Amino acid sequence: MNNIKRGQHKASFLNGILKENPLLVQILGLCPALAVTKSLETAFGMGLLFTFVLVSSNVIVSLLRKLIPEEIRTPCYIVVIATFVTIVKMLAEAFLPELYSSLGVFLSLLVVNCIVLGRSEAFAGQNGVFDSFLDGCGNGIGYTWAISLMGLIREIFGKGTLTIGKVFNFFGDPLVLPILKSTTLDANGDPLYDFSISIFQNPAGAFIVLGLMLAVMAAITNHKKAVEKAKERAAKEAAKAEATLVAGGAK
Amino acid sequence: MEMIVSFILAIVSYMLIDNVVLSRFYGICSFIGVGNKVKSAFSMGLAVTFVIMMATLVCYPLYFYVLVPAGIPFLDTLVYILVIASLVQIVGLFIKKTSPSLYKTLGIYLPLITTNCAVLGVVQTNSDSQLDFLTSLANGLGTSIGFLVVIVLFACMRERLNGYNIPKAMKGVPIALIVAALMAMAFMGFGGMVG
Amino acid sequence: MDQRQAFILAIVIIVVLLIVFVVSFVIYMRTPAPKGCEKLKIGPKNCEDCDVEGCMIYKERHKEEKKEEKE
Repeated sequence: MNNIKRGQHKASFLNGILKENPLLVQILGLCPALAVTKSLETAFGMGLLFTFVLVSSNVIVSLLRKLIPEEIRTPCYIVVIATFVTIVKMLAEAFLPELYSSLGVFLSLLVVNCIVLGRSEAFAGQNGVFDSFLDGCGNGIGYTWAISLMGLIREIFGKGTLTIGKVFNFFGDPLVLPILKSTTLDANGDPLYDFSISIFQNPAGAFIVLGLMLAVMAAITNHKKAVEKAKERAAKEAAKAEATLVAGGAK
Repeated sequence: MEMIVSFILAIVSYMLIDNVVLSRFYGICSFIGVGNKVKSAFSMGLAVTFVIMMATLVCYPLYFYVLVPAGIPFLDTLVYILVIASLVQIVGLFIKKTSPSLYKTLGIYLPLITTNCAVLGVVQTNSDSQLDFLTSLANGLGTSIGFLVVIVLFACMRERLNGYNIPKAMKGVPIALIVAALMAMAFMGFGGMVG
Repeated sequence: MDQRQAFILAIVIIVVLLIVFVVSFVIYMRTPAPKGCEKLKIGPKNCEDCDVEGCMIYKERHKEEKKEEKE
């Protein structure tokens, strides 16, 4: 009994991270994924705030699930989510002003994020508080790593450098890592080497990076499916061969 | 005269240069999800246009004449989403009661408009950047026309994709995103058109 | 306007808007769809009996079904 329960908890946590990743597998929440991934840090910050909204709205929705009449579920969910988004907006404005200004209107747009509303309707409205909490965490982490990876790719290829500590500026000056573009300048004032491709910083680059990431994910899933099918077929054939062998032996 | 010119210029710039889908990234979900039927893309675009205009007209006075004087501008998002959701329901109710043929084309898209970022995005930008009423209207109009144009063009392009041999992993959304990237590059050409 | 009045006004605005939304939502849901449009619904839950051919979910599902039939 206890084991089954633990298995369920584990599943509701882990599903969102890889198997049912909200961005890469379910293909939801594309707007913020494309808009705020110009740099690794804003993407990560967005992921954090998103996770906070998702977890808290999941918990409240699942607490209220027996009080809310079936008929007006969606309006109630929208109000709960909008309340948490307002709270997050105020917190971000107070404590992370750099992040707040670089996210801009997309922080407010968390209200209409398909993932948050979708998790409320599909999961938190039917499951217990602890499971909903875990589901929120799992999906939040899944979304965060996906958009952080996108931000990393776009920043490295687009800007050539990787800046750490500009948005989360608690530790003094930001650290700028030269990767594809040198930070030291030559006599003419140009960087020593510069292999960055500025299209990755443009909207078009966002579409391309996300499209390729989804394609890679789809290729992996397809490959897994093919391997499983081949295994199944092999097992079937082995069973058949054995059956004929047994039948032959009986003769 | 000058006002009219600047109004039209603002519409053009919100429509082409700062296109909703391709450079501001609002409403990607419906953009990708509406598929490759040109007719349904057009209906979706029209429905979004209507709701955006209505929402702009209602939310502008609500923010500048009620929320700001009362000292509670931080409630904007909560108020906007409630206004937009009610508007969508009321429009849907109206269509359901009066015109079955319109309901047949728009009906399935109506619930999706509440969660379309474009509507909330426009209204929120209007109040965040303190636009005046005329510019807000231009923002609403330009955004919705831009959405309509891009979503119809995109549906046409994806219709053409149907017969081609696309790698298995790229089928569906990935190739759609690549197509969108090409469109975004084309729209980058409009940059700098309006000084 | 002092803080208490603003507080009351905020609550009044939210409650009024919420009531408008809930009422319109319930009326919308209770109004029967016109003839011939009963099946028009979208979303993974309702996709089993949807026949909007332009929808991507519809296409993906039918592709898989066809493949399975072939096999």
